[in-house]
Amino acid sequence: MSAIGIIIGREFRERVMKKSFIISTILTPLLMVGIMVGTSFIMASNVGEAKRIAVVDRSGLIAQSLTSSDWIAYEPTSSTPEELRSQNDEQMYGFVVIGEDIIDNPSNVALYTYSTSTMEVESAIAGDIEEIIEQHRLKSYDIENLPQIMEEVEADVTLRSYKLGEEDEEDKESSSVLAFGLAYIFGFVMYMFVIIYGSMVMQGVIEEKSGKVLEVMVSTVRPYQLMMGKILGIASVAVLQFVIWIVIIFVGGSLVMQFMMPTDLVESANAISAGTADLAAMEGAGVDPELAAALANATDVGFLVRFFGSFLLYFLGGYLLYAAMFAAVGSAVDNIQDSSQFQTPITMPIIIGLVVMMFAMREPHAPLSVWCSMIPFTSPIVMMARLPFDVPMWELLLSLAILFATFVFMVWIAAKIYRIGIFMHGRKPSYKELWQWITTKD
Amino acid sequence: MDLLRIEHVTKRYAEHTALNDVSLSIPRGSVYGLLGPNGAGKTTLIRIINRIIMADEGTVLLNGKPMTQQDVYRIGYMPEERGLYKKMKVSDQAIYFARLKGLSHREATTRLKEWFIRFGIQDWWNKKVEDLSKGMAQKVQFIVTVMHKPELLIFDEPFSGFDPINANLMKQEILRLRDEGSTIIFSTHNMASVEEICDHITLINKSQNILSGRLDEVRHRHGNNIFEVDFRGEREALISALDGHCTLLDDGTTAEGIYNQVKIHVEDDSDVRGVISVINQSVELRSFREIIPSMNDIFIKAVAGQLKTVEEK
Repeated sequence: MSAIGIIIGREFRERVMKKSFIISTILTPLLMVGIMVGTSFIMASNVGEAKRIAVVDRSGLIAQSLTSSDWIAYEPTSSTPEELRSQNDEQMYGFVVIGEDIIDNPSNVALYTYSTSTMEVESAIAGDIEEIIEQHRLKSYDIENLPQIMEEVEADVTLRSYKLGEEDEEDKESSSVLAFGLAYIFGFVMYMFVIIYGSMVMQGVIEEKSGKVLEVMVSTVRPYQLMMGKILGIASVAVLQFVIWIVIIFVGGSLVMQFMMPTDLVESANAISAGTADLAAMEGAGVDPELAAALANATDVGFLVRFFGSFLLYFLGGYLLYAAMFAAVGSAVDNIQDSSQFQTPITMPIIIGLVVMMFAMREPHAPLSVWCSMIPFTSPIVMMARLPFDVPMWELLLSLAILFATFVFMVWIAAKIYRIGIFMHGRKPSYKELWQWITTKD
Repeated sequence: MDLLRIEHVTKRYAEHTALNDVSLSIPRGSVYGLLGPNGAGKTTLIRIINRIIMADEGTVLLNGKPMTQQDVYRIGYMPEERGLYKKMKVSDQAIYFARLKGLSHREATTRLKEWFIRFGIQDWWNKKVEDLSKGMAQKVQFIVTVMHKPELLIFDEPFSGFDPINANLMKQEILRLRDEGSTIIFSTHNMASVEEICDHITLINKSQNILSGRLDEVRHRHGNNIFEVDFRGEREALISALDGHCTLLDDGTTAEGIYNQVKIHVEDDSDVRGVISVINQSVELRSFREIIPSMNDIFIKAVAGQLKTVEEK
């Protein structure tokens, strides 16, 4: 096996066999699912117990029309407020006192609670009473067939959006919810991967330098081979981790689809994929068309392959570019503390990329978004945000070409710093010295 | 034939010249001492031999041919600053380095087991380097250096960090490797160990080779014609007889008593025989021995620029 191959093998094995890798790879997705399930469970269980509220209705018009909901139970009572106050029943949340002239004076209503009330409860009660007052007032106009008219007047708009296809292609139903979500998640994942694995390269180089292993290594292999072996070895760790996560997401996702999603929702999603969706029927069955469209997109294999494929390519390009810079910094310093000064110019463009990503999610085809998805230092992150919004193929290819060309150039620069930096001990070099190292001939 | 020839090697850095026109030849099967004060350029020379850095001028010939990158497989180098991956298992680590030097995984494993048995350290196989003591790690480093049976071994201060027992073990191992056909370059400040194991030396000072040759020849060359004479007979007779033939450095009287031993300095090599016959006539001569300077003396004098002869390479 070639020297680089052996080095890649070591970097890969030493990291993958570590407990921390196994734990973080398996635990991170579980943790995320756990947090999502956990919070929704907590929210659901909180709703379970309805808040019991006694209603003292002096007008005699409101109480009988108040309908209890899942979380607020109205209990009309004949007790006086004074009696209720002294009862202090722990089962009760509080009581509402409605004034005699409530229809003319809607402000004549008060809520008394045994403990501090929340805004949610207050606005819910106010809303319920408001509705009843409005009905009473409407009634006073004495219009015939009023309930029927109201029902006809009411409108519920559901906007379906279609992305215009090429001539021979059908217009495809798109889901901006999904696009937004994917852009957001994968932009962040890209950012995290580049930073985490890039600085892992730097730490590895510093460890070799401070542990004096470098001197032994470079008597056997060329510094360039050592640097590339480390960069590629760690890249393979990152790719493995990513692939494991994708598999977990796919397996977990299909399990959820199979057993936990409402069947009518899945059927609607399938119908949208097949282009035979009937919106009215969907709504009749109580399915949210927006959700069904998102689900249809999420299960579109062609779309997913293209998306994850692009992610991998951009991750490799972006990681290699930044890892080369991190390796150069690692070689120039003696310890992690000294490295922070040189890390700043590296992390700055990544953070700029992240900021532009937020913008590009809303304006994927604005000039700023397009430019930053071409500049190699920001393109891996920004392009993630643009990808779900149909980026022309030539833009994608051009951006990737620039990214990989810059990576090759950066490796060349980094190797020049590296081969001198690894022998420099004791003093932190200045930028001027780094420039001298780059311009020194072999 | 010489295994390694360094011819007119010069290496310049921005501020200074690390090596200035250095030439030396290392005979096959020798233990070659590379001596010199700190900062003289020894490490630079070793790095050039290892192809870690390239010389600006001059050539390095291995077996008469200019060295190539492939030739590093035939070198084993143990730097002064020992370095191993701390978190890696001892066995994995040694096999890793051996594979980088061109051994197969299987071959490396077999040889490593032999070395572990030789040193009696079988139970270290699964230990991590960070769990070893400094001396133990040094042994591992030694094994890593020699495992691929290189033709040329370069040790930089190999005995530092070893207790006397283990230092002796290392010395025996180095000599055994020499007997098995390896050529050894041995860089150190410890002149006593140079006298013990080196047969050739080169002394580098201020980027230049100032002294080269066989160890015994170098030492004799720098003898100052000082002799120690043991005798039986009349001390006074001897001293008066020597007067005019040589300088008496030590007449044998010390605080503890008087010994029948004197030290003399003979001005010229050609006078030695005359001096011996004078002694022989006055007393019974028991021994007549030249006092050869220690490497330590030669080192200090050479570095201070006080050697009486101008060296030719």
